[in-house]
Amino acid sequence: MNSERATGPLSRQDLERPINTDSPVVADREPGVEALGTGNGATPNSDFATLRQLLIGPEQRRLGELAARLDEMHLTPTELAELLPEAIALRASRDRALGRALAPTVETALHESVRRNPREVAAAIFPVLGPAIRKAIAETMGALVRSINSAVESSLSLRGLKWRVEAWRTGVPYAQVVIKHALVYRVEQVFLIHAESGLLLNHVTAADLDAPNADLISAMLTAIQDFVHDSFRPNEGATLRTFTVGEHTVHLEVGPRALLAAVVRGTPPEALAPRLQSALERIHLEWAQQLVDFRGDATVFEPVRPLLEECLETVLSTQQARARGAGAWLRWAVPLTAAVVLALGLTIRSRLNWQRALRTLDAEPGIVLVDASRGWTGWRFNGLKDPLARDPSVVLAAAGFSPRAIWGRWDSYLALDSGVVAIRARRSLAIPATATIDLRADTLVLGGTAGVDWLARVRGATLPIGATTIDVSAVKLTLPPALDSLREAIERQLILFDAGSSQLTQIAATQLRGVSLATRRLVDAVTSAGATVRIELFGRTDPTGADSTNRSLAQLRVDRISRGLLSFGVPREMVAGQPIATDNPLDDSDPARRARINRSVAFNVEVNAVQPRPK
Amino acid sequence: MLQKKVCMVGVFGTGKTCLVQRYVYSIFSEKYLGTVGVKIDRKEVQASGQPVMLMLWDLEGRDDHRDISTSYLRGAHGIIYVVDGTRRETFDQIFEIRDIVRGEVGDVPSVLALNKVDLADAWRLDAAAEKSAEGENWHLLRTSAKTGQGVESAFLWLADAAVGAT
Repeated sequence: MNSERATGPLSRQDLERPINTDSPVVADREPGVEALGTGNGATPNSDFATLRQLLIGPEQRRLGELAARLDEMHLTPTELAELLPEAIALRASRDRALGRALAPTVETALHESVRRNPREVAAAIFPVLGPAIRKAIAETMGALVRSINSAVESSLSLRGLKWRVEAWRTGVPYAQVVIKHALVYRVEQVFLIHAESGLLLNHVTAADLDAPNADLISAMLTAIQDFVHDSFRPNEGATLRTFTVGEHTVHLEVGPRALLAAVVRGTPPEALAPRLQSALERIHLEWAQQLVDFRGDATVFEPVRPLLEECLETVLSTQQARARGAGAWLRWAVPLTAAVVLALGLTIRSRLNWQRALRTLDAEPGIVLVDASRGWTGWRFNGLKDPLARDPSVVLAAAGFSPRAIWGRWDSYLALDSGVVAIRARRSLAIPATATIDLRADTLVLGGTAGVDWLARVRGATLPIGATTIDVSAVKLTLPPALDSLREAIERQLILFDAGSSQLTQIAATQLRGVSLATRRLVDAVTSAGATVRIELFGRTDPTGADSTNRSLAQLRVDRISRGLLSFGVPREMVAGQPIATDNPLDDSDPARRARINRSVAFNVEVNAVQPRPK
Repeated sequence: MLQKKVCMVGVFGTGKTCLVQRYVYSIFSEKYLGTVGVKIDRKEVQASGQPVMLMLWDLEGRDDHRDISTSYLRGAHGIIYVVDGTRRETFDQIFEIRDIVRGEVGDVPSVLALNKVDLADAWRLDAAAEKSAEGENWHLLRTSAKTGQGVESAFLWLADAAVGAT
């Protein structure tokens, strides 16, 4: 107490205290006075008071005034303004009491300011918050894009499909298979670099990796960072975040005192940036002073190693799995949609194919489809089939269906479809391929060409089931070679007459006889086969004379030849005359010869089938 | 191991890169190749009885269009100012450069290398000039990247000084 009083300033109490009290100051200095006062009772006391009044009265009054003045003393604003900054600085340098004392006031002030005019505060802190927010958003977006990229890549690529097959085959969840394969990236090296000097503070590498130039890389990374900073946005604090060298990506996290660089082989995982950030923040927090004091001795940063090694480790895989989980819908949606569309397309195509196949079988003669079904392995049919009908597999193959397993149970029946009846008729009647068959109601209508001998065989044959009559009138009959040459020989004949005459010359009479005999032979042969012959006679004249005269002459000539034929036994109904006179003359370069050959009768022989009577 | 960042500064073509090449790789080439940006090399030395790794930042020389890049200087523990003794202007400018460097890194141990001392005939620094430089707070040395004169001692002195300053 004494020493404090002695050295410290006078307090108000000191000044008010009466001098004769137990003030040690007075007591120490005036022991005699104290002893005098206490030893002599009231009278000496009042005397002493008077004496005191006389001796130190003016001073006492003066002290009282001073005390009063100190009591009322306030710092004027001017004086305070002078002293305040210095006072704050002085106190702040000594301890944190000022900060603690001011904190509630500052908080209240800030609160009030924001309440009154938020725009002002927002404007003030924007330069700080803006970049920070932008950075945060950019990083989030970057991570999102990387996540989407890798999700899409792993889903749509051949590799992704391979993984799915593997997951399905091994029964391991797909996510785990992805993780197993996705860990092709590796955080190979992590550098902790002193931001100011670029010196290496610590460095860790993957177990099997040799990195002899870590200190050079560290310095160069800083230099590159400086270069980028200087070259592009020196005023915005922009920093280089990543760059790629071959299959390596260098990821940089920049702090005020140190930076962290991670060298990653392959695609950096999105979790890497936050991991580096938090490691760097922790380093700044725990080694703050060492970072400030760093003068080249990196040994103090040896304890950082485990923190850096955490960045090397692949704990990231769980985070990656989570990120993949979040994007799972996207990963599935695209291939799933594609698969659904594909399946739908295949189903529709298969259904259309099936319906077309059914229609094809339905349309096939001799096949009646009773029941049909299809499965994964093939098509199954039940029904009736005429023995003459085509095999259903052949029918389907012919209609363009790819060969597939077809089972069928076909019961035999006799089909009355025109197609099957035609086939049956062709077989049972041995109809030659040159002839055509058409079934109209129950009549077999034949066309095309067929031999006279075949017609002879048909005449006695039984018609197939499904046909009651046969119409061969449209069939053009062909003759066997011997008869055909006979026919040709007849047709080559031209019986000539003298001008204006219808009388046979000697030569013509001989010629007519030959023709008649040949015709008779032909007629006999053809009629025995069930056919008939039609002999047409073309009577011509030369162009001299009137038309009517010529036509009569032509008729006379035809009649003459006709009589000749009949006289040799050629049936009348088989002979027909055509007095064409000058209508369709025979041609020759010599006029005299032309006139001569047109005074003639020519022959045309036709062989026709005779409609058999129904049996 | 203790590491120290040393920056080579000076006007272009004074031989900064050559000094580093001579010191680190013991080679010298007459061919001039300007440095763009910065080149970094390292050399382990013994200083004050302990191994020290010197990280040598060889900065692009100053020319009429471009001042030295102060970003590269940050955190330097030692500076080697390089002057071409055959070009007087490189000596005159070194004082300005020194001011720029000090503005960035403060008063760190420094060496002033008067380089190309092998070219005695072309030497343009008179006694008065060298005298004027002696009074400054740097260690003055005559060097030659070609012959190797003064090179080793320049770096060693700086290494010692930098370690001593810690």
